[in-house]
Amino acid sequence: MSKFGASRLLISGMVLGLVGMLASGWGFGWERFWGNWLLWTLFLLTIGLGCLFIVGLEHVVGAKWSVPVRRIPERLSGLVLLMSPALLLALLSLQYLYPWTRPESLENPLIAGKAAWLNVPFFVIRLLICIVLWLISYRILVTGSFRQDWQRDLRFNVRARRMGPAYMVIFGITISIVAFDWISGLEPTWYSDIFGVYLFAGTFLAALAATSLLLIHQLANRRLAGVGPDHVYNLGGFMFAFTVFWGYIGFAQFLLMWYANLPEEVFWYKERLEGLWLPIILVVAAFHFFVPFLALIPRDAKSNLRRLAWVSMLMLTAHWFDLYWMIMPAVGKSPQFGWMELSFAFFFVCLTLLWIRRALAQGADMPIGDPFLKEGLEFRL
Amino acid sequence: MSNEIFSVLGLFDSAQRMTDAIPLVRQKVAGRLEAYTPYPVHGIEKLLVQRKSPVAGMTFIMGLIGAISGVVFEMWANGVDYPLVTMGKPYLSWEAFVPIMFEVAVLFACFTAGLGMLLLLNRLPFFRHPMLHARSMPLITRDRFALAVEADGRPLDVAAVSDALRAAGAESIEIVENLAAPGLLSPRFLFTALLAIGLACMVSGYITYWGIKLFPKSIPVVHMLDQPKLDPQRESAFFKDGFGMRMPVAGTISRGHLPYTVKDEIAAEVLSNPLPRTPEVLKNGRQDYMTYCSVCHGILGDGKASLTAAYGAKPSSYHTQTMRDLPDGRIFHVITSGKSTMPSYAAELLEGERWGTVHYVRALQRAYDAKDEDIPEESSR
Repeated sequence: MSKFGASRLLISGMVLGLVGMLASGWGFGWERFWGNWLLWTLFLLTIGLGCLFIVGLEHVVGAKWSVPVRRIPERLSGLVLLMSPALLLALLSLQYLYPWTRPESLENPLIAGKAAWLNVPFFVIRLLICIVLWLISYRILVTGSFRQDWQRDLRFNVRARRMGPAYMVIFGITISIVAFDWISGLEPTWYSDIFGVYLFAGTFLAALAATSLLLIHQLANRRLAGVGPDHVYNLGGFMFAFTVFWGYIGFAQFLLMWYANLPEEVFWYKERLEGLWLPIILVVAAFHFFVPFLALIPRDAKSNLRRLAWVSMLMLTAHWFDLYWMIMPAVGKSPQFGWMELSFAFFFVCLTLLWIRRALAQGADMPIGDPFLKEGLEFRL
Repeated sequence: MSNEIFSVLGLFDSAQRMTDAIPLVRQKVAGRLEAYTPYPVHGIEKLLVQRKSPVAGMTFIMGLIGAISGVVFEMWANGVDYPLVTMGKPYLSWEAFVPIMFEVAVLFACFTAGLGMLLLLNRLPFFRHPMLHARSMPLITRDRFALAVEADGRPLDVAAVSDALRAAGAESIEIVENLAAPGLLSPRFLFTALLAIGLACMVSGYITYWGIKLFPKSIPVVHMLDQPKLDPQRESAFFKDGFGMRMPVAGTISRGHLPYTVKDEIAAEVLSNPLPRTPEVLKNGRQDYMTYCSVCHGILGDGKASLTAAYGAKPSSYHTQTMRDLPDGRIFHVITSGKSTMPSYAAELLEGERWGTVHYVRALQRAYDAKDEDIPEESSR
């Protein structure tokens, strides 16, 4: 199929999905519509933010091995640009999904105590600040790198090394704000300090998985000459390490609430560990931690492209279901699947595929202007 | 012993020549191959090592064993040996077991990996590596690359190995002899080991002694005394009157207790012992008698006990006719309410325990004044 034909197919898929979304939103209620919208937006946005985090992290530590593969997270972090408008659009969901926006909610002392943080003007200001910070970081870290391909400007490396640490802080704070505002804000009486870290752990894993998948795709198309098992091993090792981190953080949050058994904390888990929500989190635990952990233990497995590919797909599935498990119990009493969910999946998958086709054409396949590229290609374990 | 051959070295003038020689040598001679180079040569370990190290698998299995034994021990300790309700959770709650299971798994795995590396891969303990005395060592640390065929327990055919190394391109050959290594049972090793253990004991003993003396608050056990719970006889800011210990609510009695309303000994005569005279009751009565009564009345009930001289009172003997004729109820009343200098034991002994003690007092009286017919049949002849 020609390139043009594929694009046209994807665009018509998107249009079809959009029609289905709006029609089912009209039919089944806007609450469910915005729940799905939030889920898909946050799924893609966190992958973008996580990829930008990978880029920033590599500049912070001055990693050389990652220079040849750095273009992949750089391209993927464009998802931040794609999804920021979608998150702005999600402001329309405030009245449907967020109980604290309703005036009568202030009668609840738990919500009234949080009114200084949970009010619409401050919420919008926070969102705008987050988006502006993301765009600045993207411009310095990623656009600068693309520009270096033809400008060969060595000052980029200095700027990126300064921006890297700043983005670490920005990312840490904004991902927590996203977690608190958009996810735990769905049930404003809930408390969890570690929730931002939990979202970060899943985000970083999903970003590593997306990077690995695209890396494997690029290697299969022979577009990354000189990138060998040693580079792949490092990515796999990263992924392996952070499976345990995700498990640790997720279980730590659960264990403390289970032990303390305070009503304002434990209700969140209670409604998520009952009925059909329980198998969902069990699948997430298996795909995010148990299966990848066991699959990536052997040394050779971390540079085995086939194994890394299916582990990455498990990870991305797990991240989607993880967000589903966090968001959806606040929207509907039990998991729902119907025309609406199908349309959303259709629309966002087509959108992502279409976007990836464009992103893969962005810049050279490796940062050819980076002075450390040669050193990176020569990297051996 | 001193002539045993450790290895045959072939010196090469470049890393590439040595790497190329490895398969050629391997074809011709059996034995462990080892390389000594002035800098790390990437990828050489894949050519040198034919068998995979067993340490990885051992570490995995020991980690599993650690996890399982951690859980089993916790289940036994918490559910069988000493069931203790913690935070109102069931005895066997898997959630609480996970952190310790994780830690024990990591502990076992780490020890296995560390000891496996030292004992299996590095083949410790030995004091001096024979290579340190090789004549070519100064060259190897400068610009020569040595490929060694090691004896590895079996005798080495020096001529064949030398020929194979020469044929593979070695510019010179050296035969490295095993030094007479001090074995595990040699006096020198034992002396060193004993000295090391002694020194370690001394040092750790001094550190512990002075650590406790200088920083007593640093001992965690001390802090266990310092708990927020309410101790008996202490004041408490929680209650308005400041008393930590509470009076029973007016008009109530404790579960299982009836108020004792008998006024004097004569009135108590009508009470009869509700307990049957079973070995169990007598055993408990004996226990209570020994704890509370024997200090004054003597273990035989004759009023002769070590405490009486110091106390200045003369407790009565049970073995007078008056005492033998007393009804059970009067003895019970005296234990309950006290008589002259004897205090009440109602706080120390429950009602049933007092009646059990009465039974034992009766047994003492009968034993002191035993008749022939009291002696059991089989021992009376």
